[in-house]
Amino acid sequence: MSEPPASGLTLSPAPAPPEASINLQPQSNGDAKNAKPAEEAASKKVSPAELKKQKAAEKQARRAQQKAEGDGVSQQKGPPTKETQKQTKDSKQPPKDDRSRPLAVRRGPTQSNAPPPKEIKKEPKKEAKQFGLFFGHLYSQPRQHSVVGASKDVHPAILALGLQYSSYTICGSTARMVAMLLAFKVVIDDYQTPVGTSLARHLTSHHLSPQIDFLRSCRPISISMGNAIRWLKDIIIKIDPSTPENEAKRELLEEIDNFIRDRVTAAGQLISGYAIKKIEAGDIILTYGSSAIVEQSILRAHRAGIPFSVIIVDSKPLFEGKQLARRLANHGLKVQYYLITGAFHAVKDATKVFLGAHAMMSNGRLYSRVGTALVSMLASSQSLPVIILCESVKFTERVALDSIVGNEVAPADELLSESEREALLPLRSSLPQSLRKGEEDELAKGETGDVLKWFDGSENLQMLQVLYDVTPAEYISMVITEYGSLPPSSVPVVHRLSTNT
Amino acid sequence: MAQGATIAPGLTSFLKSLKTTPVDPSVEHFTSLLKRRQIRSSRPCAIATVALLLRVVIEFKGKDAAKLMERIRQVGRRMISAQPRELVVGNMVRRVLGLVREVVDENADVETNAASDNAHSHHDSLTRPNLNSSISNFSPLKHVATEPTDSNLSQSEHMSDSGELYRRPSLLTSHTSYAPTSNALMVHSLFGLFSQPETPSTSSTPTGHQSPDRKGMLTSLNLERLANLSMSNTTIDLRAEVMDGIKELQDELEQSDELIAANALDHIHSNEIILTHTASTTVQKFLLAAARKRKFTVVHAETYPHDHTATHGILLTGKKRESHQDDEDDVWKPLTAAGIQVVVIPDSHVFAIMSRVSKVILATHTVLANGGLVAAAGARMIAKAAKDHQTPVVVVSGVYKLSPVYPFDIEELIEYGDAGKTVPYEDGDFVEKVDVENPLYDYVPADLVDLYITNLGGHAPSYLYRIVADHYRTEDITL
Repeated sequence: MSEPPASGLTLSPAPAPPEASINLQPQSNGDAKNAKPAEEAASKKVSPAELKKQKAAEKQARRAQQKAEGDGVSQQKGPPTKETQKQTKDSKQPPKDDRSRPLAVRRGPTQSNAPPPKEIKKEPKKEAKQFGLFFGHLYSQPRQHSVVGASKDVHPAILALGLQYSSYTICGSTARMVAMLLAFKVVIDDYQTPVGTSLARHLTSHHLSPQIDFLRSCRPISISMGNAIRWLKDIIIKIDPSTPENEAKRELLEEIDNFIRDRVTAAGQLISGYAIKKIEAGDIILTYGSSAIVEQSILRAHRAGIPFSVIIVDSKPLFEGKQLARRLANHGLKVQYYLITGAFHAVKDATKVFLGAHAMMSNGRLYSRVGTALVSMLASSQSLPVIILCESVKFTERVALDSIVGNEVAPADELLSESEREALLPLRSSLPQSLRKGEEDELAKGETGDVLKWFDGSENLQMLQVLYDVTPAEYISMVITEYGSLPPSSVPVVHRLSTNT
Repeated sequence: MAQGATIAPGLTSFLKSLKTTPVDPSVEHFTSLLKRRQIRSSRPCAIATVALLLRVVIEFKGKDAAKLMERIRQVGRRMISAQPRELVVGNMVRRVLGLVREVVDENADVETNAASDNAHSHHDSLTRPNLNSSISNFSPLKHVATEPTDSNLSQSEHMSDSGELYRRPSLLTSHTSYAPTSNALMVHSLFGLFSQPETPSTSSTPTGHQSPDRKGMLTSLNLERLANLSMSNTTIDLRAEVMDGIKELQDELEQSDELIAANALDHIHSNEIILTHTASTTVQKFLLAAARKRKFTVVHAETYPHDHTATHGILLTGKKRESHQDDEDDVWKPLTAAGIQVVVIPDSHVFAIMSRVSKVILATHTVLANGGLVAAAGARMIAKAAKDHQTPVVVVSGVYKLSPVYPFDIEELIEYGDAGKTVPYEDGDFVEKVDVENPLYDYVPADLVDLYITNLGGHAPSYLYRIVADHYRTEDITL
């Protein structure tokens, strides 16, 4: 571990715009919460032998569990690169329980300060509960919320980035991809080819892979990130082994810069250029959540002097749309703000729907923030045009029919915000006995953390949070990419075009 | 309210105070509770309305059925105007009026006087617009105007009003021949027995109101009944019989959940995945009834931001949060205690989950006569997503929520709630610049619903109009 944990990582709590927010320099005022467990764990970890033992036990437990569940935990989705480093990472993780780990930014101050050992006792029951329904196949990988147990190969910049991913400080598929590439630039810059091998052979498999694995353990990799990684590996392979290292590195860095410029910056310009042609005077543009490219287009249209207004539909728990609404309103746009429950009322008033994408599937379906499908369904039932703004780097050859097979599960306790927990506190008196057992002594004071315990403790009750859903192609009228505007059925064609060139 | 101050104002305190307070202050109390939304949602409103009307009947002195009806109607109008979107209040008033009519009918002679029939039908069509209770007349902003005024005053107003009506021949259709000759006098003498003196001055907005669209429903049969009202009242103990009827109605309110739940096993099979939303006692009891015999899974959308607390509460404890100090509410176990697995999802997940859901069960605020319903916000998208996935949508609702109102203007039925729940007011900057909306209800059209389950059994949405006809007299549809 090259990185002393205390000097760790700043998770700037303010959700910053994609590129700007990536703070690659380790800063001194590290988050105490992340640092402490790291230290503890570091001190606990003693000998490799013990480690091995722990690893074996863990593996066994997991296997038994999978068997009991019967439905075989399927592999996490991701780009086609599975590297060997994964094991080491697994072994060093604290027990598989993401609740025992501090969950930095999104959590309020009351989050689990409970000592880990206590939690571990409860573990089997909880896991059984989680694995129950629908998304059991996706629960296999608990999310990494700290640098504890990260492989020593992981570059500090990547460690920082990973935590920013898992705390949603950087979210949005383009922003995550760009941030990753920028971090890779630092990684490559710091890379030195060991003696006896060449950069082209060594860099990908031995140096980048651990980084990617760490990122994946923080949050499953987005489609765009997968595409970018594949592209980067291609580039690296193609480097002539005889090229001197410095030159090769410089070339690589340049390529990355070009990639970002071509596929993101320029593409964004082109797409917003096409998009503003679709905005007419008097339009009421509806959008869901917050998408960088939609924001860019709206602002451009606004600057062009087109009089129109915007409706933003938003949803729990991230409320990304709120930030977007704030920014747009600050630019002088007329903004209406609804939550998803009022989506029908919002759609009724709108004239056009602009949506961002997480990915466009090859069968023309849109894979995007959960709730997008509802909004586009309501819009298309009201005969509104549903226009997707999507860079071609987010196109994928994957296909999906429903939102269940491939998705990303997020910790469910994120769903209950602090105020919601507070609102539930008065219920204490009417709780069933089984849930109150543990807390007779502290009856007087209301702890919002208890509410989570109620949910945890109550058998058969679980909360579920997934991050994406799949919008059927028939709800989508048009996809705007940097290649132009096309129907969703043309997505695979464009994907071929964009990957072959 | 003095009574309300001691306990948290709400249904319980109101019912308590009702026992000791005379009618008029009680009506006042109730309307203020309605206006402040301290009594809200269908069941409490229905219970309170019926209890209040029972009180009205008890206190009513005299034997004149027509007078009693007018009294009920007058009280009803005040309550409706206090909160026109709680259609249940109107439903209950109409049900009680129907009771009175029924009592009268049972005891009345069948003989009719052709001449008087004609006259009555004429008058009925005359006065009906006056009494129109369609929501547009009773917008909450105008409720002051709809308070009953002095009868002397309204009488004088009435003249001009009926004159006004005559200027609209389209209203009179077949009766035009009776028109302007002696209208004022005739109206006065013949209709006095029925409604005139107490007519409240809805006519203070005479030009604005719409002609009731349901007039066509008037049948001569109903008119005969009206004619009989005046002669029958001497022979019967009107009050006692009506009170019995109201008590039956109260029983119906109490039992409707159980009766609905009795259908549960016909609709839920083992291992189903059922999606529902908001905290509804009717739905919970329905599911619990099925849970006694079968194992299934419930996916519960939490209906953020208005009902999520109640939703979580009902799942954790089996009770809504609001009612947890009420002792009258019988306690039942939460679904999870019955061995049912419950998955709570945010509302945005509905579409993602829908492909696995085998049935959607919706709670409702009000059911309308065309088969559509008004339910908590989010119901529309749930129903639509279900339709798109070919998943059946079942609405469970007591008959008391079934309203004879046709949704000509849907917007009027939708209540908008506290925007501070969407974005807290602490975020002043945001709230100031952005138009934050918080609709509380959705209108779900009939074609998105596959089945209604009421305390009478299961019905297709297209059949609801028949149930409306069974429960409400056409004369009472406009109050």
